[in-house]
Amino acid sequence: MRNTLRWSAVLTGMLLVLAACQPASSGSPGQSTAESASAAASVDAAAVCAADEAGCVEIPSGEPLHIVFWGVLSGADSTLGEDSKRGVEIAIDDINNTLLGHDIQFSTEDGLCTPEGGNTAAQKLAADTTIAGLIGPSCTDESLGGMQTLYDAGMTTISSSATRAGLTVPDRPAEYAAFLRTAHSDYFQGRMVAEYLYNELGLKKLATVHDGSGYAKALAEVARTHFEELGGTITTGGDQAIAKTDTDMSAVLTAIAADPPDAIFFPVFIAGAGYLTDQAKDTPGLEDALLMSADGTFSPDYIKAAGPAALGHLISSPDTSKFAAGYQDFLAKHKAKYGGDPLSIFHAHAYDAATLVFAALEKVALTDADGTTFIPRTAYREALYASKDVEGLTGPLNCNASGDCGAPILAVYKVTAREVGPPVVWPPEAPIWAPEPDFYTK
Amino acid sequence: MYARVMERITDVAIAGVLWGFRIAVVLLVVVGSALTLGGGRHSAESWLSLIVSGAVLGSIYALIALGYTMVYGILRLINFAHGEIFMAGTFGGYFVATALSGIGFLNLNPITSIISVVLMMAGAIVVSVTLALLVERIAYRPLRNAPRLVPLISAIGASFFLQYTFRGFFGPGIYAYPTVGILDAQVPLGIEGFRVKWIDVLVIVSAVVMMAGLFLFVQRTKLGTSIRAVSEDKATAALMGIDVNRAIVMTFAIGAAMAGAAGVLYGLIFRQVYFFTGFVPGIKAFTAAVLGGIGNIPGAMLGGIFLGQVEGVGPTLFLSGLGVPSPNQLRDVIAFTMLVLVLIFRPSGILGERVAQRA
Amino acid sequence: MALLDVDGINAFYGNIHALRDVSLSVDDGEIVTLIGANGAGKTTTLNCISGLVRPRSGTVKLAGEDLAKVQPHHIVERGVVQVPEGRRTFARLTVDENLRMGGFTLTSEANLRDGISRAYDMFPRLKERRSQTGGTLSGGEQQMLAIGRALMVSPRVLLLDEPSMGLAPTLVESIFETISSIHAQGTSILLVEQNALMALNVAGRGYVLQSGQIILSDTAANLAANEQVRQAYLGEI
Ligand SMILES: Nc1ncnc2c1ncn2[C@@H]1O[C@H](COP(=O)(O)OP(=O)(O)OP(=O)(O)O)[C@@H](O)[C@H]1O
Ligand SMILES: [Mg+2]
Repeated sequence: MRNTLRWSAVLTGMLLVLAACQPASSGSPGQSTAESASAAASVDAAAVCAADEAGCVEIPSGEPLHIVFWGVLSGADSTLGEDSKRGVEIAIDDINNTLLGHDIQFSTEDGLCTPEGGNTAAQKLAADTTIAGLIGPSCTDESLGGMQTLYDAGMTTISSSATRAGLTVPDRPAEYAAFLRTAHSDYFQGRMVAEYLYNELGLKKLATVHDGSGYAKALAEVARTHFEELGGTITTGGDQAIAKTDTDMSAVLTAIAADPPDAIFFPVFIAGAGYLTDQAKDTPGLEDALLMSADGTFSPDYIKAAGPAALGHLISSPDTSKFAAGYQDFLAKHKAKYGGDPLSIFHAHAYDAATLVFAALEKVALTDADGTTFIPRTAYREALYASKDVEGLTGPLNCNASGDCGAPILAVYKVTAREVGPPVVWPPEAPIWAPEPDFYTK
Repeated sequence: MYARVMERITDVAIAGVLWGFRIAVVLLVVVGSALTLGGGRHSAESWLSLIVSGAVLGSIYALIALGYTMVYGILRLINFAHGEIFMAGTFGGYFVATALSGIGFLNLNPITSIISVVLMMAGAIVVSVTLALLVERIAYRPLRNAPRLVPLISAIGASFFLQYTFRGFFGPGIYAYPTVGILDAQVPLGIEGFRVKWIDVLVIVSAVVMMAGLFLFVQRTKLGTSIRAVSEDKATAALMGIDVNRAIVMTFAIGAAMAGAAGVLYGLIFRQVYFFTGFVPGIKAFTAAVLGGIGNIPGAMLGGIFLGQVEGVGPTLFLSGLGVPSPNQLRDVIAFTMLVLVLIFRPSGILGERVAQRA
Repeated sequence: MALLDVDGINAFYGNIHALRDVSLSVDDGEIVTLIGANGAGKTTTLNCISGLVRPRSGTVKLAGEDLAKVQPHHIVERGVVQVPEGRRTFARLTVDENLRMGGFTLTSEANLRDGISRAYDMFPRLKERRSQTGGTLSGGEQQMLAIGRALMVSPRVLLLDEPSMGLAPTLVESIFETISSIHAQGTSILLVEQNALMALNVAGRGYVLQSGQIILSDTAANLAANEQVRQAYLGEI
């Protein structure tokens, strides 16, 4: 008995170690091309559903049509998910809670911004045959964990904030056929950061910190690579990493300070970025280093987390000032519904994702004599990929074969005394710098 | 005969693997440290900084670990809700801090700042102790005579319940402690490249004072001795006229008070608190308690300090010399590896033997 | 009215009916012994008196007051103290601390010191070992400690559960001498023993418990002479 206890304790310990290791894996490249057969506008729903590889979602007359947002809804990064969730809710309000003659039933699934959480959430989603439209996930890591499951279930999801470049490259793994996004690719974000620091500010030495997440690791790498391509150097020990759960950053900061950089770019999430910002100012050698984080920290929670040290901090993020005209309207609705400004930066992308979902559902849905609505899953996926010139809040939406639907519009923001407060005011009034339009086509 | 031989061979093989494991770990630590120190990339000042940050972390772990170890000692129960008791303390301190900051008292002058910190601690302790007593009364006491697994499950349930209750009340987002000016200032040491803030001093000193106070209480007072008596044998303690329930309640209260105070210290250093704040420090403190020998009060203190140093200095010392990229990401791995090593090679913990001898 | 009065108690462990209508009494100044084989229910009887086990029916009264709703630690305060079976000294507490725990219900430090010095007078061996932990004492010393600890509060009724268990014959004798001298100082005693010969020797009256039932109750002398008792408990065939 004693021994059993002891060994089970050892096992638990080992599990903890494994959990702490948490490799951010990236799958092997595969090929996916959306088949070009378009949904036949036949009234014979049964035949269409039988012909569809993944079958149909059935919504009996009088039953609600089920839309789900999945993403990070708890923990330090929950504002990211909450922000997107609100975008979807407003989009649902804007179609008066009805689609295809059904009331909309909206629910959420928490993916915790981790691969494991994404996997668990995806398992639950895949088991729910009522789901017609899926928006999410919030984080790259959730997609890494959950995509295979969703793909196997014939489902398709469209994310408003998972930005890792590799998620929408032409040679992405086959299961990513189930993934589209309205968010930008970090290929652009990383390059923009490098160009801003090197070309615009004339800085020569860069260090980066990631947190082991698929998002941060890849974004830091794009920035480092492009910074070096431009002619800058990465300092010795300038490629650092923290664990997502760390609170004490002194070891990492001390390591960076051994060869002080001009700027430290840490595209990590809110909690980690807060600790880094707050603690960097107390690290000898880093007093003058410029600190910069990315879209994952575009939130008032980041300012709260970092405290007064946030003053002067740089954040790269989508440029709301270049969003479409409807955005101001959206903000008003947001204020009316939630009593405040958006929590993060991807609400409009989420609204747009929902818009694409509604349009695709309308395009492929079939109704039989009993009034039952059928959504053939494969046809729905193809319809999403075929979205063209849809008017969105972030701009025109055009989905390409590798899953990118939005046009990247990025900028650099600077935290000023106005935002730091107290009280914390968010968002900043305007970006301080944006790349030339041809940046995205070069 | 054959079975005997096979058994023998298995034994030898297991022993061999375990020994190999031990040697590998020792080699890794020794070679890694030698290479790091030989490489000379880190100055003496930066080592000092790492040691200080390790001591700060360790002090907090130790304060939380005491609650785990005392409750385990008295009930043989791993109080998984203890991390949430700590989290509740961070919130208690936060609300007092924002109230004081709102009326301009917090940073009015050094005296008011000190009074504020004391008030924050008091607030945190009240919240933590109240919750801990509720948890004891509702989740554990009715199960006192149930099989051991049952209260354990109840503990996990209580932990989730508290987390989601706090989430329900305060939302999923971050709350940030206001900065206390005098604590954020640096101690004028005059050493170039090495900085210590007053908050670091406060954390270490108050942890030491609280732990010394606890130690004296448990060793020297009648109530403290009665807690030890109840830990050993509840029935006999009752036959001595000791109110067993009161001793248990007191144990929970003391553990919670330490956790609440640790919560304020944590908030003052790391600023951010939210409903999930208790999870990681909770697991680390539990690890510290096991490292020191669960049930053993000095062991928990030692385990906490030790774990703090392993986390603060370990990754840089052991791994950076071996050329491991970004060793600090592996901090948790090192901490939990230590837990596994201790469970395999010294399941009674660092101070475990003393307990065995005394028993 | 008897000082301690147990009247028709029935006790259960789950479905095990451990005591069936057990009645016994201890008068002021008496030594009463309760003898019986292993598993007869002797310890259960004492625990019913101390409040650790609650009888399903029947009453336990101290000087006429019902103890049914009194918590174990309050029963100690009222003057009923048990020396449990197997001594149960606190292994990790020092001798001194063990005694202090025995005096837990004493409110003044003076009374506490007084009790401790009485214990050391009674058992000088303990004084030499005062800062040693309970776990390091010999069996005899532990029994002394257990008795000394129980006497800290000068109980009205002392419940002794097999104090001679596992001790060498010479030690057994000295323990029984101690019991006699405690009695001589005016404490009433309920003595549970398997060593019936010795117990009947020091006691005035006795009860024989078998399978949870009192089968005999008489003066000690009569019991010692009883054929049934001699066969079953005094090793005679
Ligand atoms: N905690 C318990 N749970 C279940 N059964 C018990 C428990 N304690 C005692 N019993 C049972 O109750 C009966 C009486 O036990 P008790 O300990 O009172 O006997 P005893 O006369 O003191 O025996 P011994 O001389 O061995 O000490 C026995 O059959 C025993 O197995
Ligand atoms: Mg017995």
